[in-house]
Amino acid sequence: MRPEILLQALVNGILMGGVYSLVSIGLTLIFGVVRIVNFAHGEFLMVGMYITYWLWALTRMDPIVTALVSMPILAVMGYFFYRALVRRVLGAPDLSQIFLTVGVSLVLQNFALLIFTANYRSVTVAYATQAFRVGPVSFSVARLIAFAVAVFLSLLVGLFLGRTDIGRAMRAVAQDRDAAMLLGIDPHRVYALAVALGAALAGAGGSVIMPYFYVFPTVGASFVLIAFVVVIMGGLGNVTGAFLGGIIMGIAESLGILFVGADAGVIVAFIILILVLVLRPQGLLAVRRG
Amino acid sequence: MRGAPVPSERVIPATARFIKPLSAVVVLLVLLVAPWFFTPYPLHIVIMTLLFAAAGSAWNIVGGYAGQLSLGHAAFFGIGAYTTTLLQIHLKLSPWIGMWAGAILAVVAAVLIGWATLRLQGPYFAIATIAFAEVLRLMTLHLRDFTGGAVGLTVPYLGNRPWYFQFEQKVYYYYVILTLLLLIVAVVRRMASSRLGYYLIAIGQNEIVAEAVGVPAVATKIKALTLSAFLTALCGTFYAQYIYFIDPFSVLSLGLSIEFALVAIVGGVRTVWGPVLGAALLRPLTELTQAALGATYAGVQLIVYGSLLILVILLRPEGLIGPVSRIYTRMMRRLEV
Repeated sequence: MRPEILLQALVNGILMGGVYSLVSIGLTLIFGVVRIVNFAHGEFLMVGMYITYWLWALTRMDPIVTALVSMPILAVMGYFFYRALVRRVLGAPDLSQIFLTVGVSLVLQNFALLIFTANYRSVTVAYATQAFRVGPVSFSVARLIAFAVAVFLSLLVGLFLGRTDIGRAMRAVAQDRDAAMLLGIDPHRVYALAVALGAALAGAGGSVIMPYFYVFPTVGASFVLIAFVVVIMGGLGNVTGAFLGGIIMGIAESLGILFVGADAGVIVAFIILILVLVLRPQGLLAVRRG
Repeated sequence: MRGAPVPSERVIPATARFIKPLSAVVVLLVLLVAPWFFTPYPLHIVIMTLLFAAAGSAWNIVGGYAGQLSLGHAAFFGIGAYTTTLLQIHLKLSPWIGMWAGAILAVVAAVLIGWATLRLQGPYFAIATIAFAEVLRLMTLHLRDFTGGAVGLTVPYLGNRPWYFQFEQKVYYYYVILTLLLLIVAVVRRMASSRLGYYLIAIGQNEIVAEAVGVPAVATKIKALTLSAFLTALCGTFYAQYIYFIDPFSVLSLGLSIEFALVAIVGGVRTVWGPVLGAALLRPLTELTQAALGATYAGVQLIVYGSLLILVILLRPEGLIGPVSRIYTRMMRRLEV
């Protein structure tokens, strides 16, 4: 195999990995702060994709710009998802927590099926097929934009968690809820915000991939599986870990497609999952949380 | 163990001693004779209900009693269905024998998955089981020459050949699935009051405490998973032989895994009869909505399922078996007096 092909696969993987990072950061944030595994996260992504599709279909709004619409809508959705449902199973056994979000995922998925049918829909933008070359490697413009936006948003999340009061409050609650409460932080506000933010990030992910992906009601299922693996790889609740994990996952998937064939994504994800669980279940970065 | 029928400590009067066995005999007789009075379509609904009751009960062993939430039981179901059918197509092996091969393969898969994930606590197991079933589904889609891919496999039709698990009349399938269900319920019942059952309940409630008092948690969880996988694979075999057709969508999908769990949760996890009740409530609903709405409104039924799941978890997380078993105990008591 020529090295250029390998290099190209690596580049493609990194570009896709940025989007995986973005979606996974949302998932790991929700887990880290609220301690809930959100099985409906893929459906948040799916809703973001449909919002983008319809805005494009009706007004020809550029998919990247639609992120400005899908993020607030998903944030509101996430907020109500927390207030109406998640809040009521906070102290409940795993079964309630897991199957509540599974139920939400079922409802959203099939609601989409009902109103949008199972058809695959995609947007066509001028830059979808454009690419430029750097040496032997070609960069797809659409993927590069998606990657850039995803990384930019991920960095914003990092800044938000590190530099703002509410971001710090979120980290405080994630570390020790009781101590945070003693310091006057209202955990329910922080939880609601974390879920809203996580959902918004999934929505953004849905928007930025639309120029080169297609949407259908169950599109979230394969994404969420990859995001789960990324989150476990990075260590549950670890935002930096999720970012790195997303990139690694993108590369691994791209190499898998190169060597195994299309649709290798889930299989590669599964192999990584088993390896991580057997060898390093605390996550690659091994940051143990309190 | 809320909601489970509590064995009464009272001394039962001599005349009443016969009531329980007698009613059991009556119920059994009704179960044996009733199907002959059904027309094919209602009988089909009954058969599917029994199948999901069986699969839900098998899920309950690991998802309910052990508290390890599998979202990938379709994998074991599919292994059972595909193994039997492939053995029959290629080696002309009777499904009555092939079903055990499928069940053993499911056990092997369960041991591997269990070993990798059940040493950990938390959501790892749920995620790993989804991923495992997805991988199996995709591989079945890809290995077209062997598994038929998306086209699926048709069980060779041989006419009325009981030795090949093929009957002209639906009613014999009813007897097969009834037997399987009763077998699984008996296994669960026995297990519930055995050392394994108590270990599982202890683990399901608090694994750390259970381990501290000497319960070998990991080995016990794996044992539960293998037992559950074994029984689920048998259900998969039945499905393939009854429907005569399998494809990755019908026997390996995430939706199917969720439905097994749903049956148990709606009825009541960690109870012997909960999954049976859940199936009795949900499966006819599925069949009837499918018949009424057809493919035009695909998804309506799953919206109903999802909403039901949310409602049960928020309002009655112990499942619906509680009130039913209370009525049952009251009735029994009244009969005894």
